[in-house]
Formats: sequence, structure tokens, C-alpha cells
Amino acid sequence: MLQTSVAAAEPLIPHRARSEVARRLVVYLLLVAIALLFFTPFIWSLSTSFKTLPETVYYNLIPHPFTAAAWKSVWTEYDFKRYALNSLFLAVTVTVINLFLASLGGYAFARLRFPGRELLFLLVLGTLMIPDQLRLIPVFVMLTNWHLIGNFSGYILINLVTAVNLFFMRQYFLTIPKDFEEAAKLDGAGYFKTFWRVMLPLAGPAIAALAILQFQGTWNDFFWPLILFGQGNEHLYTMQLGLAQFTLTYQTQWPLLMAGSILAILPILVIFLIFQRFFIAGVTAAGIKG
Amino acid sequence: MTTATETIPAPKRGSFFGARVREAGWGYAFVLLPMAVFGVFFIYPLVYAIYISFFEWGILGKVKGVGTQNYHTLYDDQIFRRAVKNTIEYTVVVVPLEMALGLLMALVINARIRGRAFFRSALYFPSLVSSAAITAIAIYILNADGLLNKIVGGHRSWFGDPSTALWSIVGLNAWTTAGTVMLFYLAALQSIPTDVYEASALDGTGTWRTFWRITFPLLKPAHFFVLVVFGIGALKVFDQAFIVSGGTGGPVYSTYTAVLYIYNEAFKSSNFGVAASAGVVLFVAILLLTVIQRATVGRAEIG
Repeated sequence: MLQTSVAAAEPLIPHRARSEVARRLVVYLLLVAIALLFFTPFIWSLSTSFKTLPETVYYNLIPHPFTAAAWKSVWTEYDFKRYALNSLFLAVTVTVINLFLASLGGYAFARLRFPGRELLFLLVLGTLMIPDQLRLIPVFVMLTNWHLIGNFSGYILINLVTAVNLFFMRQYFLTIPKDFEEAAKLDGAGYFKTFWRVMLPLAGPAIAALAILQFQGTWNDFFWPLILFGQGNEHLYTMQLGLAQFTLTYQTQWPLLMAGSILAILPILVIFLIFQRFFIAGVTAAGIKG
Repeated sequence: MTTATETIPAPKRGSFFGARVREAGWGYAFVLLPMAVFGVFFIYPLVYAIYISFFEWGILGKVKGVGTQNYHTLYDDQIFRRAVKNTIEYTVVVVPLEMALGLLMALVINARIRGRAFFRSALYFPSLVSSAAITAIAIYILNADGLLNKIVGGHRSWFGDPSTALWSIVGLNAWTTAGTVMLFYLAALQSIPTDVYEASALDGTGTWRTFWRITFPLLKPAHFFVLVVFGIGALKVFDQAFIVSGGTGGPVYSTYTAVLYIYNEAFKSSNFGVAASAGVVLFVAILLLTVIQRATVGRAEIG
């Protein structure tokens, strides 16, 4: 029955359209398969975080009994609240300072003329080639000598501004027409005022993208917190460092571990759901670079 | 008012230079702080790292100059050799995997489909998750009683078995990096003019052939870009190896990476000199990759 109806319908669909339908079917199947593959681990972790430890030996997806005990436990009995606050403090501080310094420098490199500008800019780009893994030893030695290990200031200091951020802002300022600055100049605005009142508001989309990416970068950072706070400064542990420590200590306490992991992801997930456009535009722009 | 007409031309002439000087002054003022940061925390450390690499250097600081001894130590150190071998094996496998997966995802997303933005975001999401969280989740899924074994059968502890530990990190990182690779390929795919496809459609070339004959070669600059940028990223692999092995690089050195070596030489053995020289070796490797990219692509793009 089915075969005959398909056969009857066949001549009505042109050859091209039929292959188009087949192509789309393959595309959708692939997409759903990849999406499932990508999301199963997250969904599984989320499910486990609402289970009791004895229940984790079963492979049921819906927790039964459903309990938020693990979540409550990591937040109150373990130190995840402090980790979260430490990370939040560092991420906000580093992001705000980066925004300011990257815009300031980016604007100057884009628009102000001064001798040696190209050379200095080349130097900025050169720092892109210096990996953190090379800076690790000298920076640790420097910060130790300056007694900046064991508090947050060392971390903030080495992350005040990055070349990627400065470059990103410069590229954006280059795309803004000069008319705005000339109008400001005619109004008698000075250089800083022109930058602060005219150019910075115009760079809104770039600033939003940079803010989101930098917040995410600092929140997710594991390397530098490990180096700077990992040598016996548990009160400074960030979310990622605390989670890693927790992973090593409570490896089989799955509900607790998964609650902690989801907690470490949660702020980024929320920001991503709200600002996904900025994320994707930012990553592509920062990589492709004008 | 007569004074006004008299004084206007004078400052005007002087202000041409005055304005230039003022502009330059503000320019320097604006870049002063960023340049100070780059100077003190990037360029100086580069020089300082090379300096430290020629010294015996402990937790309390400089002990004595040893010439190139630290580099000889590296060369003779079986653990360093193992770390380099692991890092290269990891890079050589993970990068093509990330590229293939990222390109496949980009092609699928680039097809005219409904819910494109949704799928793009969904596939990109794992790239945003922190290494610590994703590694914890992987440890859970890949443990002997984990979900993976439930699906594929068996009772293997994937990170606990020396024959699978490094490859499990490869799989983990391919999964979390493919989304970013996808974004770069998507941008490149969108820059291919549509008339190229129209011409091949007129010729009656099939989808598969069109891809291999036209799309894939046209993506060459993107391939190079992704290869170098993610190749450099892969050489720096650390977080996952550190977390799954608790910093030991185990089991039996199977997850010991180059950066883990730097970390352990410094913070476990207090050999800052050797650690710095390993950092210099890594830096040179990265620099070489970058130079090769510049030379091949031959454009002023910065990676």
C-alpha cells in the first residue's frame, strides 16, 4: 500500500527536489545525532546531581527519589560558596579593568597619531606569541619576590589587559566613522572626553562581546589560579580550582561532584543563553581579525 | 573684539604643531598603562625565562649559573622525553579530529535548515564549559561503572588504564574544542561566493564531489589557520591531564604532558631552572609553528 502510494507520488516530485529532501534528512539526522552526543554528558550529570549516592549505581535518567541534597551540601557543607564568590570577584574585576585598558589602548592605536605608534603596536601583537606556559616560571618568581603570591592582587596584576582584547577593541574603533570625533572636537571636547563620552558608547557591541568573553575566560581559568593560589592558599580557591581539588578528593561522591561541576558551568550557561549572539560574534572576530 | 581677530590667527598657526604634540601626548598617555602591563608581564618575563633557564634556580631563588646544563638535563630526562612524546601524539591525533568534527558540524549548520541558530549554539556550548567541570564530568562518565561502559560494555576505567588515558583526553578535548573550530569554518564557508556552487550545480556535480572538488580546496586558508591555532593550543594541553591524574601524569606517565612537566619541575621538584628551559623549548616549538603558518599563508593575519 505504502509502496504504491509513494510510487504514484513520485512523478510529481522533480528529481532535484527529491534529492534535496534526502539531503535535508541526512543533515537533520546528523544534527540530532551530534547534538545528542554533545548533550548526553551534561544531562546525565544534571540527573546524577539530583540523585542519592546509592542510586547512582542504577542507570535511570529520572532521579528517584529526587533530592537536592547534593546541591545543598556543596553550597553549605563544602566551600563552593566561597569558591563562587572568589571567582565572581576576580572575573568582575579583571573584566572591568580589561574593558577600560583595552578600550583606552585600542582607541589610541586606532585613532591617535604619535611617533612610534606602529612599533609599539607590533610589540603588542608580539606578546600574542608568548605563551602563559613560558611566563609561568618568571611571573611566579616575580610575584613571589614582590610578596604577591597568597592574595588576589598578583592574579589581577598579570591579567590587567591582554593583547587579544586590545587588538579586538582597536579593530572595532577603526570601523567607526571619523565624523563623530570631529563633531566632538568642534564642540570643544578634549581627547579623553571624546574617548569616554563619544567613542566608548559607540563601541557598545564590541564592549559587550569583550565583557562576556573575558568574564567567561576568567571564570573558567584553571591554570593561573592553580599556580598562584594552589600552593596552600585554600581561602583564595576559585570555582575551577576548588572543583578540581574536590574532584581529586571526593572522586566517587558522584552526586556531590556533579552538583559542583554544574555549579561551575551555571553562570556561563546563563550568560550564554542570554547573550549567545555576542559570544559567537566575539569568538569569530577575535580569531579572524579583520 | 579687536583682540579676538588679532589673536585667532596666531594660535592657529602654532596650534598645528601644538595640536600634533597634544595628540601625541594623549596617545602616549592612553597606551601607557597597557604598554606597562605588556612590558612588565609579557616581554620582561620572556627575557627573564630565558635568563632563569641558564641557572640552577630553587624555590628561594638563584643558586648558580650552569650554562646550558638545564637543556642537557631535559634532553637526557626520560620523563621529559615521555612528556614530549605524549604531547606530540596528543596533538597529532586531536587536531585532525577537531578539524574533521568542526568542519562536519559547520557544513551541516551551513546547509539551509530550520533552527540553524539554535543548533549552532547547541553545538558550540561545550566549548564554553570550563576545563575543570568538563573533566569532572568526563571522569564520571568514563569511570569503570560509568555511562560509557554501560553503553559500550566492559568494565574499563578509561582514565585509569595507561593504554586509554591519553586517548580519553583526546576524545574529551575534541568534543569540547570542535564547537570553536566549527565557528571558524562557518565564517570561512560564508565567505565562499554562492556562484561557485551554482556553477557546479549546473554541471550536475553531486554534493559529495562538490565538497571534495570545490568546497574543501577553497577552505585552504581556514584549514591552515585552524591547524596552527589549534595545534598551538594542543601543545599546551595541561588542565585535563592534571585533573585526571592528580598532577602525576599517570597512570605510568601516560598523561604526562610537556606543560605538566614544567609544572612539576617547578612546584614538585623546585627545579625552576629546568622548568624554565622546558618552557623555552615549548615556546620555540610554538614560534616555529607560527612562522611556518606565516610563510605558507603569506598574509599579515595574526593568529
